[in-house]
Amino acid sequence: MPVITLQKERFCSLLGQDLTVDELVEWLPWIGLDIEDVRPDYVKVEYNPNRMDFSSPVGIARALKGLMGLEVGLPKYEVREGPVEIIVGPRVAEVRPYVVGAVVRGLELDEQAIQEIIEMQEDLHWGIGRGRRKMAIGLHDLRAVETPVYYDAFGPDEKAFVPLDDEEEMTLGEILEKHEKGRAYGHLLAHAKVYPVIMDARGRVMSFPPIINSELTKIGPWTKDMFIDITGPDLEAVRKALRVLTTALADMGGRVEAVEVRYPDGTALRTPDLRPREAVLRVEYANKLIGLDLTAEEAVECLRKCRLDAEPIGPGLLKVLIPPYRTDIMHEVDLVEEVAVGYGYFRLEPRRPPSPKSGQPHPVSELADRLRLIMIGMGFTEVMNFVLTNERVHYELMRLEPGRPIRLANPVSAEYSMLREILLPGLMANLALNVKERYPQKLFEVGDVVLRAEGSETKAERKLHLAAVVAHSRANYAEIKGCLDALMKALAISDWRVRETEHPSFLPGRVAEVLMADEPIGIVGEVHPEVLVNFGLENPVAALELDFTSLA
Amino acid sequence: MYVRPREWDILRALADLGGKARADDLARKTGVKLTTLMSDVASLAEKGLVRMREETRRRAKLTEEGLRYAKLGLPERRLVKALENSGGEADIRSLSASAGLSGEELKIGLGWARRKGWVKVRKGTLRLLAVPRETAEEKALRALSEGLEDLGELSQVLPVLEKRGLVEVVEEVHKILEITEAGLRVLQLPRPEEEVSQLTPELIITGRWRSIRLKKFNLEAPGTPVFPGRMHPVQEVIKEIREIFLEMGFEEIRGPLVETAFWNFDALFTPQDHPAREMHDTFYLLEPSEGDLPDLRTVEAIAKTHEDGWTTGSTGWGYKWDAKEARRLVLRTHTTATTIRYLAEHPDPPVWVFCVDRVYRNERVDYKHLAEFHQIEGIVMDVGVGLRDLMGILAEFYRKLGFEKVKFWPSYFPYTEPSVQSTVYSPELGAWVELCGAGIFRPEVTRPLGVKHPVLAWGGGLERLVMLKLGVKDIRVLYRNELGWLRGVPICP
Repeated sequence: MPVITLQKERFCSLLGQDLTVDELVEWLPWIGLDIEDVRPDYVKVEYNPNRMDFSSPVGIARALKGLMGLEVGLPKYEVREGPVEIIVGPRVAEVRPYVVGAVVRGLELDEQAIQEIIEMQEDLHWGIGRGRRKMAIGLHDLRAVETPVYYDAFGPDEKAFVPLDDEEEMTLGEILEKHEKGRAYGHLLAHAKVYPVIMDARGRVMSFPPIINSELTKIGPWTKDMFIDITGPDLEAVRKALRVLTTALADMGGRVEAVEVRYPDGTALRTPDLRPREAVLRVEYANKLIGLDLTAEEAVECLRKCRLDAEPIGPGLLKVLIPPYRTDIMHEVDLVEEVAVGYGYFRLEPRRPPSPKSGQPHPVSELADRLRLIMIGMGFTEVMNFVLTNERVHYELMRLEPGRPIRLANPVSAEYSMLREILLPGLMANLALNVKERYPQKLFEVGDVVLRAEGSETKAERKLHLAAVVAHSRANYAEIKGCLDALMKALAISDWRVRETEHPSFLPGRVAEVLMADEPIGIVGEVHPEVLVNFGLENPVAALELDFTSLA
Repeated sequence: MYVRPREWDILRALADLGGKARADDLARKTGVKLTTLMSDVASLAEKGLVRMREETRRRAKLTEEGLRYAKLGLPERRLVKALENSGGEADIRSLSASAGLSGEELKIGLGWARRKGWVKVRKGTLRLLAVPRETAEEKALRALSEGLEDLGELSQVLPVLEKRGLVEVVEEVHKILEITEAGLRVLQLPRPEEEVSQLTPELIITGRWRSIRLKKFNLEAPGTPVFPGRMHPVQEVIKEIREIFLEMGFEEIRGPLVETAFWNFDALFTPQDHPAREMHDTFYLLEPSEGDLPDLRTVEAIAKTHEDGWTTGSTGWGYKWDAKEARRLVLRTHTTATTIRYLAEHPDPPVWVFCVDRVYRNERVDYKHLAEFHQIEGIVMDVGVGLRDLMGILAEFYRKLGFEKVKFWPSYFPYTEPSVQSTVYSPELGAWVELCGAGIFRPEVTRPLGVKHPVLAWGGGLERLVMLKLGVKDIRVLYRNELGWLRGVPICP
C-alpha cells in the first residue's frame, strides 16, 4: 500500500487550519487513511489504492477540509483553451496507441513541491499504471521545448537523447539495454519493433514512454509552465491519471490549459476533461445499507462533506456530482460509502441483529476435535505442520518413490514445491528438530492432505488424516499398535483389522495396513532405521497414519 | 531426630574403636566404602552425633625401588646369598647372573656388602666374611611393605633408607572422628528400623506399613518431569474462536484449499490484471494447472460484470474477461473463496456462516510473514442488515475474545463497499492493534450469484491474534513445533 508523508506545517497551511499532530492523527483515519508513523513534525499515512487522489498532500487536504466542514461541496476546476497540440503519428498505434496531455501554467514550486509531484507520479504509475503497463506519465518544463508536440514511434537507432539525470546521449536501443530504467521497464516494450517517443516541434526527444524522460525537459523549482503527457494502451487509465494529476496541480496553484490530441485518422481529443460526473443515489438504499434514517437533505450534507455535490431530483432520489479526481466510484454503492464517511464512522453506533439459528460446527472439525481429544488422552502432543512441503522430505527421506503430487508453478523457495499427501514426513521432521529434547516424545497431527482428483472441479481433494509417532529407546510396534487399538475403541469402530504388508518407510515384519470395513485407511508400524538415519534420529520410532475422511 | 540404621552402626563401630578413630580405620571396621561412610558421617556430624577434625601426619612410604627390594631383598643381601651358595667364594662377574642382579644393582650390592664388612675383594674374587643376620634396614623395609606405620626403634634407619632412595617421607591428612555425648546416648537406644521411601502393595497387603518408618521427602524438590499431551497452541486459539462463532449462532463452513482463480478472484470482482493475482502474490499450480468453471449462467454474469457491469448498475472494469485466466488453479489466498462458493449455493437469507482455515500467499517467510497461515472469516447475509449491524456483530466477536475497546474507521477492500477497518485495544501491549477488516460485499459480487440481500463480511489473520495472546514476536515460532515451546506454553492464557 502506498505511503505518503504529511509535513505538519505545510499540511496545516493547505488545510487553512492549525491542527496539532495529535488532532491530525485523530482526524485522518475518518477519511480512510491508516496512520503509519507519527513524529513531532510529520505524520506518515497509508492510503488505499482505490483513492489515487490521496497520492498528494493537496488531495488529502481537500478531502479533510470537507469532512471537517472547512470547505464542502464540489471543488471547481477550470480548463482554459490553450495553443498546445499533440500530433499522433501512425506508427504508435501498434505499440502504445493512446496519449493525452495537459498544460499547467503559473506554477510556483519549491523543492518540496517538486518532490511531492514526483512521488505522486510514481504512485500513479503503480496504482493506475500497474507498474507503467496501463499508463505512464511524462512531466516536462514547457519552456524548454517548442510546440506542437509529436507522438510517434521509431526504430531503436533512429532517435537518441540524454536521459533524465544523465549526461550522455543514448539511442532508444541503448537505453533499453543499458539504462537502469530501460532494464526495469523494457519488458513493457518486449513485443515492439518500434518504440514510442514524445518529441517537440524541432524533433528533440522529450520522453521515451514508458521508460524515461529526457534531461531536456526536466522539471524543478524553475518550472513555471508544465507540459504533461500520459501514454498507454488503455484510454480509460490514461485519462483517469491525467484527471488526478491536473486537479492536484490546480490545487497547488496552477492554471490548467487544454491540449488537443490529433490522431492520424483525423479524430481529435481535448484533454483533460475536468467536468464532474453525474450519478444517481437512492437515499433509501443508502439508509438501509448503512443502518441510518437520513433525510435527502441530510444525505446531501454528508455527500458535500466528501466533496461531492447532490440535489434532489425526485422523492428520495439524488443527482450526485462527482469530482474528476474521484476515479474510484463505479456504482451507486460507492456513493453509499460516501454518505457513511460524510456522516462520520465515529457517529455510527454498532447494533447487534439477532442470530436466526444456533451455531453449527462443521462435521470435519468435530471429528478432528474428537481425534485430538483421544490422542491427547493417550499423552500425545499435537503439532501443526504446513500442507506445503517438498519432494526431498516427503519422498526421499521416507525411502518412497516420487509420486504425482500437486505441484506449485511458482514456489517461493525450494522448501515449498508441492502439497503433502501424507502427514508422517512432517512428524519425522518434527522429531528431527527435537532430538535434544527429553524422551519419550509422542507427537500427533490431525490435518489436511491434498490429493489429485481428476474428475473434480478443482482437480484436487482435501482429506483428513491423523498421524502419530512415538519415539524413545524402547519404542516399538506393540506400543503404537496399542494406541491404535485404544483409538479405534474410543471411536467405537469395531469393523477394523490390520494385515501384514510391506512399506519402504517401515521395517519388514513390523508394518501392517489398517483396514476399516475391508477398505485400507492407513498404516501402522516401526519406522525403518534408514529413515531414522535420514532424519538424524537415534531412537526407534513407531508410527501410524490413518485417513479418517469417511468418518466425518 | 531420626538416626538411620546404617548411621547407628557407624556410631556403634566408632564406640567400639574407643570412641575415636581415623575414618579409614572406621571404614575398614564397618566394611563400608570410605566415600559412602563419609556421607553418613557428614549426616551424623550434622546431627551432632560425631565430631570430625583433620590431622596431618608424616609417614615414611616405600619408593618403587624400595618396594622391589622389600620383595626381592636388598642387593647386598642377594649378593651374599649367592656367594654363600657358591661356597663362600666366587668370581665377581659370575655373581651378577647367579644373584640375579643387574649391573647397577651389583655395583650397589657390592658397595654396601663391603661397607658392612660382609665381603672382601681380592683380584676379582669375592670372599664371604660372615653371613649377616637380618639387619635393621631390612626389618624396616619389611615393616613398611606390610603397611606398618609405627616403626618404633626401627625408625632410626629411615634416614639411611631415605638417602638410598628406598623410602620417602610424605605428609598425610587424616580425618579423625570422635563420638559425642549425644552420639553415645543414641547408642543407649535400640538400633532403629530401616526407613522406607516407597510404599508398596506388598507393604500394604502384609500390614508391614504399620511397623516401617516412611522416609520424609524433600517437599520442595522438583517432581518427576511430566510432559502431558496437549493441543497445539494455535489449535487452542482456533478452538476458542470457533466456540465464539458457535455461541453467536454461526454455522461453520469448509472449502477447498486448491481453488480456481474464478472463485478466488473473479467471483469477488477482482479484475484479471489486479496486482493480487500476480505470480509474486499468489501460488499457481504447475500440475494440475486448470480447473473447471461453474455453470455457464454464473460464468457469463460474472464475466459481463467485469467487462461492463452487466445489470448490476456498475461501470465494470472495462476490459475483455478471459475464461482461461479464471480456470487457473491457485492455492486459495483467502477464505473468502470458500464464503463466495457457499453464497453461490445458498443465495437466500439468512446465512450466518464462518470459517477458520488455511490460506496461502507467495510470501518470503520472515518473522512477520508465512506462506501458509490461517484466516478467520465471518459472514452474515440477512434481510435489512447494514454497516451498523456489521460493526455490532464484530464488536461482540471482539468482546468475546476479550477486547472491550474497539474502533472503526473507513477503509477499502476490492470486493466490499462500504468497507471498515477495525482496531482493538490490547491491555497487555498497551496499544491498539488492527485485527479484522470488514465490509459489505459489492453488488458486483452478489448480484451475479443471485444474492439479493446485503452480505456483511469480516476477516483477519489468525496468527496475529495467537501471537498477541501468547506474546510471541516471531510468527515462525508458531509452526516450528519445538517441543520445549509446545511443552511450555500455558494453555489458553
